[in-house]
Amino acid sequence: MTTAIGRRTHPLWFLLPAYALLLVFFVLPTAYQFVYAFTDWSGFKASINPVGVDNLTQLASDGTLFRALRITVVYAVLVAIFQNVFGFGLAVLLERDTALNRIARTFFLIPVLMSALAVGYVFQALLKGTGALADTTWTLPVVALIHAWKWMGLAMLIYLAGLKTIPLDLLEAARLDGASRWHSFWRVRAPLLAPAVTFNVATALLGSMNGFDIVQATTGGGPARTTELLNIFIYRTFGQGLFAQATTMSLVLFLLVALMAFPVIVLLRRREEVL
Amino acid sequence: MRRLVGATGALLLAIGLTACTDPGAEPTTGDTGAVTWNDPAAKLDGVKLTVWAAQNSNTVPQQVIEGFQRATGASVQVVTIPDPYEQGVQTKVATGDKPDLAFWQPTASMLTAINAKTNLQPLTGAPWLGALDPALKDITGLLDGTRYAALVTSPAVEGVYYNKQVLAANGVTTPPKTFDALVDLARTLKGKGVTPFYEMGADRWATQWWVQVQLADAAKAGLWDRINTGQEKFTDTTVLNAVTRYDSLIKEGLFNKDIKTATFEDQGTALLAGKAAMVVQVNSFFGQLQAKADTATLNEKIGFFPIAPSGNVGTVIPDQSNALVAFRTGDDKREAAARQLLAYWMGPGYPDFVAGRNTVSLETAVANPAGVPQALLDVHAAVAGSAGSMQALAVANPDLYLNLADMIAGTMTPAQVTEATQKQFEQLAKAAGHLK
Repeated sequence: MTTAIGRRTHPLWFLLPAYALLLVFFVLPTAYQFVYAFTDWSGFKASINPVGVDNLTQLASDGTLFRALRITVVYAVLVAIFQNVFGFGLAVLLERDTALNRIARTFFLIPVLMSALAVGYVFQALLKGTGALADTTWTLPVVALIHAWKWMGLAMLIYLAGLKTIPLDLLEAARLDGASRWHSFWRVRAPLLAPAVTFNVATALLGSMNGFDIVQATTGGGPARTTELLNIFIYRTFGQGLFAQATTMSLVLFLLVALMAFPVIVLLRRREEVL
Repeated sequence: MRRLVGATGALLLAIGLTACTDPGAEPTTGDTGAVTWNDPAAKLDGVKLTVWAAQNSNTVPQQVIEGFQRATGASVQVVTIPDPYEQGVQTKVATGDKPDLAFWQPTASMLTAINAKTNLQPLTGAPWLGALDPALKDITGLLDGTRYAALVTSPAVEGVYYNKQVLAANGVTTPPKTFDALVDLARTLKGKGVTPFYEMGADRWATQWWVQVQLADAAKAGLWDRINTGQEKFTDTTVLNAVTRYDSLIKEGLFNKDIKTATFEDQGTALLAGKAAMVVQVNSFFGQLQAKADTATLNEKIGFFPIAPSGNVGTVIPDQSNALVAFRTGDDKREAAARQLLAYWMGPGYPDFVAGRNTVSLETAVANPAGVPQALLDVHAAVAGSAGSMQALAVANPDLYLNLADMIAGTMTPAQVTEATQKQFEQLAKAAGHLK
C-alpha cells in the first residue's frame, strides 16, 4: 500500500482467491490439528469429545512414538547427507556446458520427475532377494539412499546454479594470486555456494522428515518395523480408526519439523552472512 | 480495504469451521426393529446401487449382480477399494462417503470399527435366515444382538494345510489329533530331513494363526470375554505361553530356514512342491493354491485338518470376502434396494452363485457344486464345532501379527510381543467405548 499506482494496478482483493485456498487447504487443517489432537475422535463412534492431553500422555508412555521419531530423524539426516553429497558431486562433475554434460544432467533429473511410488516399487523389485531390504540395521540407510537417488538431480541443479553465478573475476583474481585449482575450488568457490547449501540441506532434511511414499512402496516399514517412519506409523494408526491419536502424532511431527527448521536455517544463514 | 479482508477472512474461517465438523456425526437412528424386505425380484428400474469390494473380492458378486440386474432392472456398480481395504473403507466412511453395500469382515470388532450402529442397516428378520444351515446362522455378523452382516460364503478357518504326499512318504496316514501330537510329528519329520512347517515372516499376517490355534480351547472357555472386560490380559500366562511356544518351535528349527524373508507366495509354492510338510493358514491360502493348480491336483496333494491343544477343533475367522454389510445412506429407496439385493443373492440367486464360484453352499436346500476341492469341504466341516478367533470375539483387533513378525525377525521377545499387543488392544478398545 505504498503508492497510489501500486494500489491501482494491483488491487489487494485480487489476492483473495489465493488466500482463500491457502486458508482452506493449509491454515485450517493445521489449526484443526491443534483441536482434534485433544479429542477422542475415532472411527468407532459419531461423537467427538475433548479429552485434554490424554492422547499425548498415552503416546509418550508408549515407546512406539519415540522409536518412529528416532527412525524419522535418522532417515532425514541420512537423506540430507546423501542427497547433498551426490548432488554436489554431480554438479562439479557436470559443470562445463558440453553436449555430453547437458545430456547427462537431463538423465540425472529424470528421477526427480518420476513418481515416488514408482521409484519405490522399482527398487523393491530390483533389491528383492538380495537381502538389502531384509536387514534390521541396514535397510534404513538403503531406503535413505533410494530417497537421495531420487532427489539428487534437484540438488545437482541448485548447486550448478550456484557454481554458475560465481563471478569469473574472483576466480581470475585467485589464479593471479597463485592459488592452485584445488585451493581456489575449496577456498573460493565452495564457500560461495553457501546459499545453495542452505536451500539444499533445509529442503532435503525437512522434506524427508515428511517422508512416506518411497519407504512405504519399498519396505512398507519393514523389516520388523525398522524403517517405520512417523508418517507410516500415522497412516497405520489412522487406518485403525484412531483418528485423534493419528492427529496427535502429526501434530508432534509438525512441531518437530518446525523446531528443527528454525535452528537449521538460522545456522546455515549465519554461514552465508560471514561471506 | 483492510476491514474487507478481515471480514472475508473471518467469514471463510467460519464456513471452514462448519464444513470441517465430523461428517460421520449424524444422529444415530435407533433400531425401530421392523425392517421391511421387498420381494427379491421386485422391479427397481432406475435405481443405482454401489458395492465396495476389495481386490480379492471384487469378482465374487459378478454373477449375482448380472442376475439381479436382469431380474429387477436396477443397475449395480462394483467399486474396488485398493488394499489395505479395511483402512480405505474406514477412511472414506469417516469422511462421509458411503456405498450401498460393501464386503466387510462380519466380526464384532470390525463391525464396531465401522461404527455399525450409526452407519449400517440392521438386517433383522432377513428372509434367507431360515434357509441357512442352522449351525452357521448365528456364527457371525452380530453386534450386541443385532444382525448387520450377511454371510455369503463359508467363513475362513485357521488350521493345518498339509502336503498329503510328503506325509504319506514318511508313513503318516492319519493326521495328528492334538497340538502336542502335531509338534511330535514335526520332530519326527525333521529327524527324517523334511522341513515340517513353512511360515511367511516377510508378509507377516499369517504369523498370528500359530498363536490363535493354540488358544482355541481357551477361546471356547471365554478367554476373549475376559480380555474384553480387562479381567485377563495378553501378558497373562494363557496368551504369553502360546507366543512363547511358537517362538520356541521356531528356535527349535521346525520351520523353513528362510522364515524371516519368506512371503505368502513362497508359502504356497513350497507346500505344493512338497518342500515343506505343513502350513498353518486360513482359506485365502487355499485360494492361492487354487490359482497355482487345478482341483484334481489339489485333491491329490493338499489336505486340511483343524488343530487345537485338546483335539481337532478349528478356529473360525470370517473375513472380508465372506460377508456383506448394507449402509444407511439416508435414501430409503436405495436402502431397501440394497436389502433386496442381499435377499436376491441369498435367495433365488444363491444356486447360481455357489455353482459359479465353485464354493461350499451355506444353505441346506442348495447342494455343493461337484467341483469343490476336498480340502475346502474339510475346512467347511470344521466351521460348525469351531472356536472363535481373536478377530471374531475380541472387541478390538490389535496388530498381534506385526509383533509376532518382529519376534521372528529377532527384535522382540515373546513378553514384549504380548505387552505391545495388550497396549494397543487397550487403546483400540477404549476408543471404541469398551474397557472404560
